[in-house]
Amino acid sequence: MAEKKPKVIGFICAGHGMEAAVLSARTGKQHDASVRLVEVPCAGRVDGIHLLKAFEDGADAVFVFGCLEKNCFYDTGSIEGRKRVGYVKQMLDEAGIEKERIEMFNAASSNAWMFPQAVEKMVETARRLGPIEKGGEGQ
Amino acid sequence: MKAKIQVVLCKCCSEVPALLNTDRLAMLATDADMVVSVKTVDAICDGKNLAGVVGEAKEKEVDRAVVLACHKKDVSPALAKAYKRAGVNEFMVEIVNLREEVVLPHIGEPERAQTKAETMLRAALVRAVMLKPLERLTEGMKTNNVVIIGAGVAGQAAARAAARTGAHTVILEKTGKSMKAPGVILTHCQLIGAKGWTGNYTLKIKAGEKVEELGAAAIIVATGGGWTELMGPLAKAVKDAVPLYKLYERMQSNDLPKGTVVVVDTPDPAGKSLRVQDYAWDDTLETVIELKKKAPSTQIYVVFQEMRAFGLDELAYKEAADLGIRFIRYDKAGAPRIDPKAPTRLAVKDFAQGEVLNIQFGTLVFASIPPNKDNQAIADALRIPMSVDGSVRRGSIQRGPVETVRPGIYVCGSALFPKSRALAEQEGETAGSMAGEFVKNGKIAYGGSVAEVEQEKCSACLTCIRTCPYEAPFIGKATKAEIRTQLCQGCGMCVGICPSKAIELHHFTDDQIMGQARSLLGGDF
Repeated sequence: MAEKKPKVIGFICAGHGMEAAVLSARTGKQHDASVRLVEVPCAGRVDGIHLLKAFEDGADAVFVFGCLEKNCFYDTGSIEGRKRVGYVKQMLDEAGIEKERIEMFNAASSNAWMFPQAVEKMVETARRLGPIEKGGEGQ
Repeated sequence: MKAKIQVVLCKCCSEVPALLNTDRLAMLATDADMVVSVKTVDAICDGKNLAGVVGEAKEKEVDRAVVLACHKKDVSPALAKAYKRAGVNEFMVEIVNLREEVVLPHIGEPERAQTKAETMLRAALVRAVMLKPLERLTEGMKTNNVVIIGAGVAGQAAARAAARTGAHTVILEKTGKSMKAPGVILTHCQLIGAKGWTGNYTLKIKAGEKVEELGAAAIIVATGGGWTELMGPLAKAVKDAVPLYKLYERMQSNDLPKGTVVVVDTPDPAGKSLRVQDYAWDDTLETVIELKKKAPSTQIYVVFQEMRAFGLDELAYKEAADLGIRFIRYDKAGAPRIDPKAPTRLAVKDFAQGEVLNIQFGTLVFASIPPNKDNQAIADALRIPMSVDGSVRRGSIQRGPVETVRPGIYVCGSALFPKSRALAEQEGETAGSMAGEFVKNGKIAYGGSVAEVEQEKCSACLTCIRTCPYEAPFIGKATKAEIRTQLCQGCGMCVGICPSKAIELHHFTDDQIMGQARSLLGGDF
């Protein structure tokens, strides 16, 4: 049987984040196919519940891809996004799940190399850690 | 009522048919629930193809669509317009970016790409079912006033440019200086407060002793630079330093400076609070060259941290060097110092040679003019953010170099950072014409994908009010938070942070985002 493919999901902001991803594709950069993208208007729109539900639905790694903090499309949106990611990191840690599984990335719309880099990092993390082990006393 | 979905597959760019099996995608769409029409077209951006798609949409009475094409921002405007003719709301069209998310980045893996595209189609169908139609509203502007704060170089240029577009310009000037500019000029006037929103501001103005109100459709902040004296350690030693523009004015009336002239770039070279962002380098070169020509015996030193002459003004370096003007570069560690006991000797460490030079000077000139001290009060009144160095902050340097985060408020000239006259004038023109065009429209559009508070759930904790960068939420009459739709930009920051989960962002609700995420994670590729 083939190795189980990692499942990585990215919440990507429609401002600079999506532009960077689109530019990376247009400039011919390749990235791993196992990444799924959910477009949100702003990294600040991402809620803790979205990130946690993504893990529940089978994601091995989750990332948020937003604007640069000083050049955010919505002024403070990517700072808000980082806060949510930090919050979820803490919750994962408490639940005994590796907190590297979630990460926040920032890019300007011209930083085409950032998106494949981010994907590579998350896919590598997902491969290394494997699927989240479910079970234990609560189940 | 059951949703009727139309699925459109765009085969554009020739990569789609080569990498992906469009027939399999079309079959998947046909088999899906609630899909009434599946169309495969060569290119959705082609008018004929689009007309065919919309014609079928009309025939089958679809109420929503899933379009598998390319980047949303590229195709969305045309699609929204076309689907409007078929009676489909613009927010009911879900665009899947196959080209940039699947085809281009996964050229070597056709099988995985195919599964990914199929999963994305399924997720889009899930999301499409959850979409709701939304309306965009418009509000008329009550006046066509463009209010310009500051009557400096940038302010006057802005007034001229705005007047050309047909707007009525009002210039507010703190001092009583006379000038020639179109529209109304109010001297001895200061802005003390503002209320309202984009397109319909009401400004509170202090005119002499009286306080008056003025309606404004657009506002341009052109407060310019403000300091006329040195700052920091240099200020303690030298009392009679002159700003560059004063030196220039004196030169025009043949009042030439005495002794050796030293031009430093900022009033506080060693200071942390004042960064050298840009400095009126063109003006410095122009002035020192003119001074050297007028008085060839004068020794001139230019002490600088970084050089940024604009365009062909670079040639002025050579001219200045040929005339015998000395340039000394320093860095933060070797910033110019003056011992208060010997207030005519400047010590600066040459960055290139690493040696400390002592210069006996007669006149100390500083080139850069830091932002106006009144900026803080104006920014508070208009509620726009400031930079750390006391200048007005622009929204985004790429998207709008003269715009602030608030739509309808523009900023230009040295209010942003110190710059030369020519550059300030150009920026003023830009801000003026942008404000003019904005006002010419006569109305502002709002609504659509905006946030809304569910009143029963709200506990009036003020979290949304603190979070929103646009100040859209407010506490309404029922002591519950409400969102002023005119101000909401639809970022959804308040939605995630609301502890009571009382706010919902239309078009990006929790269910829509999580539903899409779940079905995307369902596929195995």
